[in-house]
Amino acid sequence: MTDSLKDNSYIRCRKLSKVYQKGKITVTPLENLDLDVRRGEFLALMGPSGSGKTTLLNLIAGIDRPTSGNLDIGGEDIASFSRGKLTNWRARHCGYIFQLYHLVPILTAYENVELPLLLDSQLSRRDRREKVLAALELVSLSDRADHRPTELSGGQEQRVAIARAIVADPGLIVADEPTGDLDRESGDQILELLRELSGTHEKTIVMVTHDARAADAAERTLHLDKGRLVEKSFSPASIESAPTS
Amino acid sequence: MKRLLHLANLAFKQVTRHRIRTLLTIAGVATGIFLFTAVETMQSSLRIATEVSAGDTTLVVYRENRFCPLTSRLPEHYLGEIRRIEGVREAIPIQIVVNNCGASLDVIAFRGVPPEDLEKYSPDLEMLSGSYADWTARGDAALIGENFAARRGLKPGDQFEAVGVRVSVAGIIRSSQAQDNNVAYVHLSFLQQASRLGLGTVTQFNVRVDSSDQLESVAERIDTVFASDTDPTDTKPEKAFFAKTARDLIDIIRFTRWIGFGAVLAVLGLVANALLLIARGRVKENAILQTLGFPRFSVGVLMVWEGILLGFLGGLSGSVIAALFFHLNRFTFGNEGLTLALTPSIEVTLTGLFLAIALGLLASIWPAWVACRNPIVSSLRQG
Repeated sequence: MTDSLKDNSYIRCRKLSKVYQKGKITVTPLENLDLDVRRGEFLALMGPSGSGKTTLLNLIAGIDRPTSGNLDIGGEDIASFSRGKLTNWRARHCGYIFQLYHLVPILTAYENVELPLLLDSQLSRRDRREKVLAALELVSLSDRADHRPTELSGGQEQRVAIARAIVADPGLIVADEPTGDLDRESGDQILELLRELSGTHEKTIVMVTHDARAADAAERTLHLDKGRLVEKSFSPASIESAPTS
Repeated sequence: MKRLLHLANLAFKQVTRHRIRTLLTIAGVATGIFLFTAVETMQSSLRIATEVSAGDTTLVVYRENRFCPLTSRLPEHYLGEIRRIEGVREAIPIQIVVNNCGASLDVIAFRGVPPEDLEKYSPDLEMLSGSYADWTARGDAALIGENFAARRGLKPGDQFEAVGVRVSVAGIIRSSQAQDNNVAYVHLSFLQQASRLGLGTVTQFNVRVDSSDQLESVAERIDTVFASDTDPTDTKPEKAFFAKTARDLIDIIRFTRWIGFGAVLAVLGLVANALLLIARGRVKENAILQTLGFPRFSVGVLMVWEGILLGFLGGLSGSVIAALFFHLNRFTFGNEGLTLALTPSIEVTLTGLFLAIALGLLASIWPAWVACRNPIVSSLRQG
């Protein structure tokens, strides 16, 4: 890792560990992990099941808390945040894209995208509308605003989920296998969209994937095994032969 | 505040877009609130009929130790002496003939009064249709209380027969005195002859005093005057008289309070169960909301709003249906010639509605706690 990368870190993890009990067994999905991610970087995390990549993603997204270590994102040590402060931070700074989209089934695409904006009481109805339509426009789904998730294809659902993740204009987007449930064509569209968000809109993206093709879309790929970074590379080609499960 | 409204809007969408689940829950709540409102309507009607208030100035002079109009017989000439008693403003002799002396849901009560005295005794009688002149002019004419007329579907010009008495409807009346709305006023002499009791005998005297604080003293004076007569009297305020003669009926109606209480508990259990099932079925959805930045408190509030909405919609349906049910059917309990009209009131309807909302709120507390305490990460893994 270069010094310039360290100096320009948007995400900085130091000795980050996560330990939890599963019955009588102590599980350590992450152990003393150090990681730096630049602002606007598109990072892919790969590794076998149980390697700790989703745990790391959840810590970075602020929906889980580390057992020890520092986790600095955008200059704030979110590991030290209270639950309430972390919730507020998530609402303002982080968008989450799930593998299975996780749209609220009774809401239309428009209403799903609008959800994060409901947390901002400063926004008027008109402001919200403008932002939602802009987000849907960005994912090319303006014509599907009134459709419910059951009326959309998998690729369209994931694009709605991306619109929901970006509508509040967060600096960070985390994606947990965003193409894992999609066919190749839809997956490519999603990856292209993520690349655009990183390149054009300077969003920092951390993506967990099992798919080497998906990792190709990222600027950098890191490989995790047993809670540790085992391989770092700027060249997607170098990790194509890495073991995946 | 704005966030609370957004959550209410979100809860409204949840309630209205899960139609089958919502309709079933609302149907259950509506049934419970209908029962509660029905019971409360009976209780409220009973309170109005039996609790003496500051505006009550009517005394009923009855034959001592008699409890039924069939057995209470007083000489009509008592009228003159009663009118001379200090504190009496007006008095009227009444012959009562009923189709059923016991408790009945469809009692027919004829009240025979001197036609020239009725308007003077009850100046607030409002003629809804027909005419007072027609009633005074024709011996077998009857003025029908509006509840009685609605229950039997009677209108001026109709004839009907009950208890061997055939009358012609001359008018439909409305009165601030609940009893008047449930009876048929006929000429006293006509009823005395038609019922074969003979002229000169009446069932009771109704006496108006100047103010309600004179009720007890005037009643005592009346009973004292006739204490040593062949037909001693027992005088009570009209509502107390009803409370005494209809004691069994009142006990039964008071017992129904337990049915109302049971209905309330059933609604509470139903809404709580429905919301708990919703909370358990929405673990992942709630975790998604929290991932998006909704605080745990908001997830709980969303559940509380749903409880309130289900309570409101069910309560509105149940209480309005109950009000319409009583309004359209005009049920009237009769006992010993006195009637208890089961009249819906806006107060009872609103009580049912607000109770349902309160029950929805109460029932949602535990499900809300369940919904908001689940950890995000493990909830996202579910399903």
